[in-house]
Parts: sequence; structure tokens; C-alpha cells
Amino acid sequence: MKTFAYFVLFLMLAVVVIVLAALLGARGAWYFAWMVGTAMIVLISAASAALLDAQEEHETASNVDADAGSRT
Amino acid sequence: MINGTVVELSRIQFAATALYHFLFVPLTLGLSFLLAAMETVYVTTGKLIYRQMTQFWGKLFMINFALGVATGLTMEFQFGTNWSFYSSFVGDIFGAPLAIEGLMAFFMESTFVGLMVFGWERLSKGQHLAVTWLVALGSNLSALWILIANSFMQDPQGAVFDPTTMRMQLSSFPRLVFSPDAQSKFVHTSIAGYVTAAIFVAGVSAFYLLRNRHTELAKRSFRMAALFGVMATIGVITLGDALGFVDAQAQPTKLAAMEGLWRSEAAPMPFNLIAFPDQTKQENHAVVQVPALLSLLVTHSLNGTVPGVDELEQQAALKIDNGIPAVEALQALSKHPNDAAALAEFKMHEQDLGYGFLVQRYAPDLEKVTPQDIARAARDCIPPVAAVFWSFRLMVGFGLLMLAFFVLAVLYSLRNRVQEKVWFLNAALWMIPVPFLANEAGWLVAELGRQPWTVYGMLPTWMSASTHSVGYMAFSLTGFIAVYTAFIIVEMYLMVRAIRHGPDGPGHENGPASRPRPVLAPRPLPAAPHEMNLEG
Repeated sequence: MKTFAYFVLFLMLAVVVIVLAALLGARGAWYFAWMVGTAMIVLISAASAALLDAQEEHETASNVDADAGSRT
Repeated sequence: MINGTVVELSRIQFAATALYHFLFVPLTLGLSFLLAAMETVYVTTGKLIYRQMTQFWGKLFMINFALGVATGLTMEFQFGTNWSFYSSFVGDIFGAPLAIEGLMAFFMESTFVGLMVFGWERLSKGQHLAVTWLVALGSNLSALWILIANSFMQDPQGAVFDPTTMRMQLSSFPRLVFSPDAQSKFVHTSIAGYVTAAIFVAGVSAFYLLRNRHTELAKRSFRMAALFGVMATIGVITLGDALGFVDAQAQPTKLAAMEGLWRSEAAPMPFNLIAFPDQTKQENHAVVQVPALLSLLVTHSLNGTVPGVDELEQQAALKIDNGIPAVEALQALSKHPNDAAALAEFKMHEQDLGYGFLVQRYAPDLEKVTPQDIARAARDCIPPVAAVFWSFRLMVGFGLLMLAFFVLAVLYSLRNRVQEKVWFLNAALWMIPVPFLANEAGWLVAELGRQPWTVYGMLPTWMSASTHSVGYMAFSLTGFIAVYTAFIIVEMYLMVRAIRHGPDGPGHENGPASRPRPVLAPRPLPAAPHEMNLEG
């Protein structure tokens, strides 16, 4: 249920972004938007991978701590 | 006059080769930037797994790239072989972006592709990253120029017709390059490629996660594809709206066909969500409408209207009336180039020259043109409505489906739980064909919607083709379809083989190491009991 609520929330957020962009940029400087947008998409995608590494390292470290705690 | 069957076969041949070609292109456009993203992480973090990711997806990129180039080559030759009058009429404008596209594709892109594949051991990390970025830029910039050329066919900007040479000539390069149609079409198409690549990477990663193979590589690939895809899908929908907004003004007949709009209506206009258009009776059956949505979508205002087919046909008939004297004056000028009266007459009517050409299909001798001929030519101005209407809805439907998919993919991936969602991983596999179908549907909307013109409002399709025989066209069409189908089979075989084989390198079962060893971090990982399972 929580996942579904988040899904609806993020989907609505995406729709709001699309509507705003459509209304603001009917005749936008699209070449410029492509350059900036592509760089942004690539960098956010790259950052998300780094975030996954951090999540996994954190998870591993938590497991190590929990394991050490249970032994002592 | 050119045989109508030859024109139709020429159209089918170009459409078939273009649709085949565009099965390869979007993946190249998008995967190149995903490779750049993966390698950027490798260079900034130094983690070997990102290098393996870049190399593995780079191998799939290369299979696709090679076959994409092979299928694209013939299309440029078709302009000369099958569309010789078109090439003569607009070659002075069309040739410039096409030549730059050739330079981009064959010099910049191909050179750096070679360095990207063979340069891993010869270039420094930074140099190789720069090369990968240049491959991505080169492939997208070569698409830019071919799309500028295509946009000229949709909305001819920056050109004038010269009655002394009987050809169109470039009058403003900036207007050609920066036309609203070119800008929105390039970005829409390029980002559609990003979406295609993101779905492809997510789908293949899902395949590995379902089989518990290469899980670390697959999880990271899936995460990057999910974020890449959700932003790209938002972009592609936004640019689709921008392109529709531009088309509403530049190509009103295409828009009327996309919306199944047979009659002009008062604002706010309803949107036909579902309808079955009947071109002969000019009406829709089994209509399901959303009130006021069409005005909002195509004019961004509740008070905006767009003309229906009835109004557009009336406008076309007036333009045909005005275009006939232009064609007659042009015929006089071709016999007597210094005829000042004919030149003055031409200048008065030149804005509707294309419409004069349109009616010549039914009245080659314009002195004998009848009101029935004009009415038939005016009716020809409307593209095949049902095909455009449904192609458009398929494209939009697939786009919305992909948006929902990526939102969920981001949610699961950010929680690092995607590998546990078996149903979603199966869905990701089934999503792989969706962007390809959406891309094909998009091109059907763009090109069927442009009919009956090769250059909108300037040059009708019926007079653009070469004077081949029906037998020649049928033979070459059969050959193209056979060869291109073989290409598709080869691509799918090579792709499936490479995916089944999986990535090479330490930590993978195909790599040189007999036993998996950590590839995630350059520094030692935690002790053995807690060591990350690299192979799942």
C-alpha cells in the first residue's frame, strides 16, 4: 500500500513537471534544453549508481556491527 | 507523368528501410550516453565494476551500431535513385544538412567509436572517458542533422523557390537549423532514444536478476537505467507536446488527422480519446471524448481552436486556385526565361505554387482544369486519418506506460529491493519491445501525416519520384526487405548471444579469474562472512 501511494505520488509529480514544462516552453530553446538536460540526466544517473554503492556499503557495515554485537 | 504504382512502391520502399533503420538508431542514441554515465562513475570512483559495465553494454552498443550504420547507408542513396525530382527540386537545401550528417557520422562518430572499443589499454582513464562522451555527442549530433533535413520537409524554413533555376535555394541557414520543428523534433527523437536504451538496459538487467547472474552489475545497471529513463520519459512527453504545438501551426492537416478532427468546432474543443475514423464519409464512429482537452493540448489555452478537415479542404481549394497561375507562369518562364510578365505573375502567386502542382495530378494541362479536379486535389490534402490517428494514440499510450514503469522502477531501485520483485522484473523483460514500437508509431505519425507532400505545401509526393518501372521497384523492394530482415535476425542473434554470455572480467563467470573476487571497491571489503556476493 505504501509503495502504491509513493507510486501515485511520484507519478503525479512527473505529470505536474510535464504540464509545467509544456506550458512554460511551448516554443522553448530546445537545443539548449537538450544540452543542459542531457548533462543532467547523465550526471543524476551516475550519481544514482554512487548512491547504490553507498547504500550497500552502509548495509554491509550495519550487518558487520550487528554481527559483532551478537558475538559479544 | 510518373506511374502512380511506382510512386507508391517508392514510398513503401523508403518507409520500409526507414522503419527498419529506426529499430537500430534509438538504441545507439541513448546507449551511448548511458555508457558515458557508466564510465563517468568508473573514472570518478575507480570501481572496476563500472568499467565492466561500460565494456559489457559497449559490446551490445557496437553490435547495434554496426547494423544501424549498414541499414542507414542505403537511405541516403534512395533520395537519388528513387526520388530524383525531389532531389533536384530541394537538393540545394536538403544536401547541406545531409552532408554534415555524413561528416558527423563517418568522421567524428566512427573515429571515436574505434578509439572507444580499442582504446581501453592505450588511453588514460580521462582520455577514454572523453572519447566515450564524444561518441555519444557524435551519434546524437549526426541525428541532429538528418532531423534538420527531415524538419525542412515538414516545415520548409530558410528556403526560397528560384523560378530561373526551377529549384529551391537556401536563403537562411540559421532559419533552417533553428526552425521550431527542427528543434522540438530533434530533442523529442534524441530523448526517445534515451528512453529506448533505458528500457533495454533495465530489461536485460532484469533478465540477469531473475536468473541470479551478474547481480551486482545488473543492480547497478538497473538503477542507472531507471533514473536515466524516468527523466528521459518526462522529457520525451514534454517535447512531444511541444512538437504537437508546433505542428498545430505549421502542419494543420497532420494535426487534424492525428485528432480525427473532421469538422471545425468552437472552443473548448474535446479530445477524441477513442474513435474509428472513416475517410470516405469524413466522420468518426464509436467516439469516446474528453471535454476541452484538445484545446488545452494543442493551443495550451481553453479558448484556442484548430481547424478541422472541412475548413482545411476549403482553404486548400482556394490555394489551388491561386497556385494554378503560378504553375502556368512557371511553364511560360521555362520556355522564355526573360518573360517579365510571366515573372511578375509568378511572384503574385508563388506562395501557393505547391498547390498548383497538386492539381496537375488530375489535370496535367492546367487550362483544362475543372472544379471537380480542384475538389479532388483539395481532398488529397488530408493525410490517411485512421492510420495517423491510431499511430499517434499507440505512441502516446506506450509513452505513458513507460513513464509508469520508470516511476515504479525508480521506487524499487532506490530502496534497493528491485531484485526481490520478481513480477516487476518479468514486466521489465516484456517492456523491451515497447519503446521500439513507440518509435515506429511516432515516425508513422510524422511521415504519413505529412502526406500528400514530400515538402509540406511545396512539393507533392506524386511528382517527387523517379521514373522507374514497376518491375524494377518491386524487385528492389523485395531485395531490401529480405536483406533488412536478415540484418534484424543477425542483430537479435548477436544480441541474445552476447547477453547469454554476459560480461567478461574478474568477478564474472566468463572472466579470467577461476574464483570470483571483489570488483566493487579498490580498497578491501569487510571480512569474509560479510563479503558481498558478487555473483548472486
